[in-house]
Amino acid sequence: MPGLPVDLDACIERLYKRELLAEPVIEAICAKTKELLMRESNVVHILSPVTVVGDIHGQFYDLLEIFRIGGFCPDTNYLFLGDYVDRGLFSVETISLLVCLKLRYPNRVHLIRGNHESRGVTQSYGFYTECARKYGSANVWHHFTDMFDFLTLSVVINNDIFCVHGGLSPSIHSIDQIKIIDRFREIPHEGPMADLVWSDPDAERDEFALSPRGAGYTFGAQVVKKFLEINNFSHILRAHQLCQEGYQVLYDDRLSTVWSAPNYCYRCGNLASVLEVDDAGSRFFNVFDQAPENAENRVDQQPVEKAQVEYFL
Amino acid sequence: MSMLPPPTTLPTPQNMATVLPTVVDGGKSITVSSFKITTRKLPILNAQEIDAMTEKLGIAPPEMIFGNNIVSIEKIGSEEGGWKIEFNALDALDLVDKTGSDMLKVAYSAAWQKQREKMHEGIKEVVKPFDWTYSTNYQGSITGTKEFTPTTDQIPLDKLRRQDPILFFDDVMLYEDELADNGMSILSVKIRVMPARLLLLARFYMRLDDVVFRIRDTRVFVEFAEGVVLREYQEKEDSYENVKKKFPPWRDDIPAIMRDPNQMAEYLPLKSVKVEKLVL
Repeated sequence: MPGLPVDLDACIERLYKRELLAEPVIEAICAKTKELLMRESNVVHILSPVTVVGDIHGQFYDLLEIFRIGGFCPDTNYLFLGDYVDRGLFSVETISLLVCLKLRYPNRVHLIRGNHESRGVTQSYGFYTECARKYGSANVWHHFTDMFDFLTLSVVINNDIFCVHGGLSPSIHSIDQIKIIDRFREIPHEGPMADLVWSDPDAERDEFALSPRGAGYTFGAQVVKKFLEINNFSHILRAHQLCQEGYQVLYDDRLSTVWSAPNYCYRCGNLASVLEVDDAGSRFFNVFDQAPENAENRVDQQPVEKAQVEYFL
Repeated sequence: MSMLPPPTTLPTPQNMATVLPTVVDGGKSITVSSFKITTRKLPILNAQEIDAMTEKLGIAPPEMIFGNNIVSIEKIGSEEGGWKIEFNALDALDLVDKTGSDMLKVAYSAAWQKQREKMHEGIKEVVKPFDWTYSTNYQGSITGTKEFTPTTDQIPLDKLRRQDPILFFDDVMLYEDELADNGMSILSVKIRVMPARLLLLARFYMRLDDVVFRIRDTRVFVEFAEGVVLREYQEKEDSYENVKKKFPPWRDDIPAIMRDPNQMAEYLPLKSVKVEKLVL
């Protein structure tokens, strides 16, 4: 990569071994990634074949398992739907590896922003704490979260499959309305950008409905149908929701949820999947279970995993 | 999906401390002085099971729903018929307010609603309101005719502070939800069985960012020799603002503390407590 004072292949090799990169290296890599992402549209168009990955949440060994199952970069093209960090034990290693792969193979690896790629959310759900613990300061967290502001919001595969982290927004009928969003910022609480990373489908309904939480939407069958018609797409592909089977297909095969963190939080016992879109545009869920390394690595690392006998009162 | 077969042998007391429970197991139990203690940890519910639970409850279950997990304490071999107290997610969720009468809203709800009204006046339908924080005052599900009565007795903490050997220990999750990144709601049950007594703690913890912290604890204590069962229920709660003031300024791990119900229990004031007793 021109202008980058580090050897990306060496970084990638280290990261595959779960070794951390030095803070100045992270800083340089994030700066370079920003430059690269800045040039991407809010709607990136790509062609199949591509393997689509849902939430990973710092489950680094499961990410390696995905590469073992789906093929390593650059032999396989990847589209990641967001939520790389928080919750799992190795958010830093996970996002470091994904960013290096993006820089090394910018046209073969695509990263969409999830609701956890935000300063606010990562302070509450683990990434901030992990950065501070592994690097002794919050600098690395600042480098990564500043870079998150540049991640794209959506990808369209073969001009046919619309990919986003959460779902649809009542403010968005055509993808042209996504293109005009000013995305280079922290994820706001309201508006179309928030909806794209937060909203969930509700199979019981036809239209948009308000979440009982007092913020956020769910979207129903007619909303999906209309959005696909207006944009001349056949399918919506999103992540964001845990499912025990690793994937869920709704609305007469018009929408899929793909979830890629097996045994989520090292205790849910769920399966995971990646969605492979082949040359012809056909979709195939490749389902997998958790990586064997998880069991070996969780015990000493995770303060909240209180598996051991305890004299609680 | 493939599941691990249930364990065929139980760890012996000597090696319990070094054997970690498997993430997913089919269930284990121990019987001490005619009390049978059982725990079961299975994966979260699948789509079909979630649909069935949603229908039974009338509300959508939490994001991580361990609907097949249980912790139970059963008196066996008694002449007057059995007695059992069990903790499970379905019964706990059945006590969640389903009317939305005193529903909390996320901190930025007012701002969100205002912004929204300007843009999308047409969308008025709210997904059926209910207490989406899944707050429950669940104290276990009882089978058997014997009933708890109020008592002034207290759970004997001195006996429980002693490092008696632990014959059986488990920590079982019933449900957890991230409140759409606005905090967390979690109900889990821990149990430890010693040679002469046992202690169970079912703890509900809820943090709604910039709004409130809430803990609801049910403890069940059994003294085997006397057949005495004590059940204590406590509610702790405080506003987010108040609790934040109590954190020592030198702590730099406050986000981690706020994720840990056990540490948070020390920061929340007691709102109510009741103790009940029953002799088997």
